[in-house]
Amino acid sequence: MSGRKRFVSPEQLIYGVWLDYGMRACLGILVIALTLYMAGFPEPVVPLEEVPRRWSLSAEAYQDLIGIGTGWAWLKVAYRGDYLSYVGIALLSTLTIGCYLRILPLLLAMRDRIYASIVIGEVAVLVLAASGLLGGGH
Amino acid sequence: MTRRGGLTAILAVGLILTSAPALAAASELGGFALPWWIWPVLLFVVTFLLGIVAVLAGVGGAVLFVPIVGGLFPFHFDFVRGAGLLIALSVAIAAGPALLRTGMANLRLAMPLALIASIGAIGGAYLGLALPVEWVQLGLGVTILGVVGVMLRSRKSDFPDVPRADVLSDALRMNGVYIDFVRRRKIEWRVHRTPLGLALFAGIGVLAGMFGIGAGWANVAVLNLVMGAPLKVSVATSTFMLSIVDTAAVWVYINQGAVLAIIAVPSIIGVMLGSFVSVRLLAVVSTAQIRRVVIVMLLLAGLRAFLKGLGI
Repeated sequence: MSGRKRFVSPEQLIYGVWLDYGMRACLGILVIALTLYMAGFPEPVVPLEEVPRRWSLSAEAYQDLIGIGTGWAWLKVAYRGDYLSYVGIALLSTLTIGCYLRILPLLLAMRDRIYASIVIGEVAVLVLAASGLLGGGH
Repeated sequence: MTRRGGLTAILAVGLILTSAPALAAASELGGFALPWWIWPVLLFVVTFLLGIVAVLAGVGGAVLFVPIVGGLFPFHFDFVRGAGLLIALSVAIAAGPALLRTGMANLRLAMPLALIASIGAIGGAYLGLALPVEWVQLGLGVTILGVVGVMLRSRKSDFPDVPRADVLSDALRMNGVYIDFVRRRKIEWRVHRTPLGLALFAGIGVLAGMFGIGAGWANVAVLNLVMGAPLKVSVATSTFMLSIVDTAAVWVYINQGAVLAIIAVPSIIGVMLGSFVSVRLLAVVSTAQIRRVVIVMLLLAGLRAFLKGLGI
């Protein structure tokens, strides 16, 4: 074990490895999705030449105009060019939850109840935010 | 001009040159007279340069991205803030693995603070999306000008004096050891004033969510100046923490439809590639000069956001 790693906890090392793999996968997905989108394939919900006429609208007005809906409604059109990138964005925004869940069994095995509780609390907060159940906004 | 000064000047001029056409097109042509593909390309170039400059200056990319792109590009501020949070998240996720592996970032220090900040960030995100855009622009302008003040005035300490850990940080084992290869010695550290730190991180989370910025500049100040973590640990842990805190806020923006792929994705890729390049440039670029350029850029961007908020 290298000098540096001697001072790093096992859960921290594993968290870092999962974050690394996840980051590389997300970057790859985003590059592919953007390339396809720019090439106009698959056909986007909003044609590319139309987007500049709409990006100065507020998020609420934009969503009203295209009629897809908010929250997870984008999943219905995730196969379209402009929403394909959302898969990469959603994965990027889920990496932390995955890393936390990965270290939870380690913390429980170490009987580290305080940090296991913090992990459960953080995952609950992030899942609540991701669920869209909180509502609000405009 | 020295080689380091030349590189600094090139980066600064590059940012200005790539941003200026955006301003011209947005203000004179209504933002959509140019071919659509110019915008994502321009955005990619600007965020690539921002990724380099931001990391070298020790600030998150979003604190530069939101006021600059919000002020110079024709996009609605909702989409700019959504992309800003994704930029901060991307930079943190790109840097996180190395920071954790080397022990510079500390997971146990980050986790309790990130939990509190995440809750604040969700509240801030909803508040930011509910408030009138002018108010948010005004608040952002004031905040960015405050960041300039913090960057000019703060005298951070490499190794703050922490006589003894407080009860809470002791219970949470918010301490650690890292090897300082410059000084060739093992550094043991601990923190104090944890309850105050937790309260401040709740406020930082609100700012991050409301304005779509990472707020790493505030994280470092609290970790280092308030809680007494060594500067390197503070910077690294702050950067890593953004990957947790901004995840909470970014989901609010995604769920509210405030993320537009054509704005967010070129920005994410640009800033990630820029941050990879910046690590290689660290050895040849004067970070002090970059920091001065960034302070001037933030001052101008903050003033522009402030004036936009006033409708000027």
